[in-house]
Amino acid sequence: MLRRAESLMLLFVSITTLGICFIVLPIIALFLLLDPNILAKIYLKDPIFYVQTRKAFLITLEASSISTMLLITLGIPIAYLLARSNFVGKSIVEGIIDIPLMLPHTVAGIMILCAYSGRGLLGDLLKALNITIEDNFWGIVITMMFVSFPLMVDTIKIGFESVNPTLELVARSLGASAFKAFTTISLPLASQSILAGAILAWARALSEIGAILVVAYFPKTINVLTLEWLNTYGLKYAIALSIPLVLLALLLFIVFRLMVSRK
Amino acid sequence: MILIKDLVVKLGDFSLIIDYLEINDGEYFVVLGSSGVGKTVFLHTLMGFLKPLKGKIEVNGIDITYWPPEKRNFALIPQDFSLFPHMNVFGNIAYGLKIKGLSKDYIDRVVHEIASILEIEHILNRNVDSLSGGEKQRVALARALVVRPHVLLLDEPFANLDPRLRAKSRRFIKRIHERLRFTAIHVTHSIIDAILMADRVGYMKEGKFVIISHPKDFIKTEYARPYLDEILPLSEYLRGADYSN
Repeated sequence: MLRRAESLMLLFVSITTLGICFIVLPIIALFLLLDPNILAKIYLKDPIFYVQTRKAFLITLEASSISTMLLITLGIPIAYLLARSNFVGKSIVEGIIDIPLMLPHTVAGIMILCAYSGRGLLGDLLKALNITIEDNFWGIVITMMFVSFPLMVDTIKIGFESVNPTLELVARSLGASAFKAFTTISLPLASQSILAGAILAWARALSEIGAILVVAYFPKTINVLTLEWLNTYGLKYAIALSIPLVLLALLLFIVFRLMVSRK
Repeated sequence: MILIKDLVVKLGDFSLIIDYLEINDGEYFVVLGSSGVGKTVFLHTLMGFLKPLKGKIEVNGIDITYWPPEKRNFALIPQDFSLFPHMNVFGNIAYGLKIKGLSKDYIDRVVHEIASILEIEHILNRNVDSLSGGEKQRVALARALVVRPHVLLLDEPFANLDPRLRAKSRRFIKRIHERLRFTAIHVTHSIIDAILMADRVGYMKEGKFVIISHPKDFIKTEYARPYLDEILPLSEYLRGADYSN
């Protein structure tokens, strides 16, 4: 019996090792196939390349950071409401918030165009306010917000749900207004989840390409530029562009895992 | 004095109905009843978390029926004590004073005063996670008393304590009450709490106070019978075992 159990464990360990290799191999391959000359060329030496590269990185970082900050502002009240109250249609609201998770990315982009572009439902209103999203920086921000929305709200909601609601009742009984009880008790106790939500939403925003291609090809984000260079100059150039993104993603991932394990 | 008149609170199918209840200043009032009879609804209504359908709650002649919880000055000690885990013992006790925007020196002095009365001065810098059940209860008591509440609301304060600590904790709260004479409303399903601590007992059944009396009178009523049936055989056994010696 023991031998059979050991064989089964051995089989599972082998399968797990294969699974890990499946994920790690592409990361290793990316670094092995990296051409240092191209790396130097596109980041430092050749202005034709590095002007584009730096601009694309800047736009990607700016748009993803702005989208994350806007989502924190939106996500905290929504998550708190969902965590603390029961109302008719709550599960429908929760379902709607998760819709972007399920959509094909190009479809998400088309839906954003249908609603918010010049030709969309709110087109006339947004035009009157002088807001355009097609091939525009704000189009990238809105697209990133749309796809990251569920990750932010769901993660913060878990944080608020883990805070004992009686703590707020006690705070109120000691003289704190509802707002004060929220800011001094629930908000700090959910801060790790808010940070985790922000990291996940930021990582998701950084990685988005499908919907951005549909809504705002220009100004080019780093992902759009990588795809363009893959088609125009080949794999070596795309690899050189991908390296910083991989490093950033790994860094975010490590920070996120550390936070989860500290919980 | 707290005065409750013609109060009706609805929560789904459940109704809390109190025709008339007076609780005097400095009184230790125990609300006794089984689970689901409306003790928590009563507490939450007093605190302002539930709005009555009709009736009124007065404190010293002032109608506070629809005041928000933070204006009432009814401090709560929940069953699990609910200490704020992101603050140390001092931070927990000082919370209500900081919310009121009082000076740092005043807060420091008053927190030390109450901590000294409750014999927890030596743990003021401790993290609340490291406290024992008894210490947690004293910190919760200090946090509530430091704001000088009109009423202290205790929700099953001994339920989360080790049985060996309960008797000690009862004596301690009784002693503190005799010293500070705060008005207390203590919700419990333990007749021992009611007999040993109450000036008066209010027995609740199906959302109503069916009897309000001195504990000595209460134990003679039919409502006390099921509770006493549980503890009387024990007292007989202890007498037989000559426990007193």
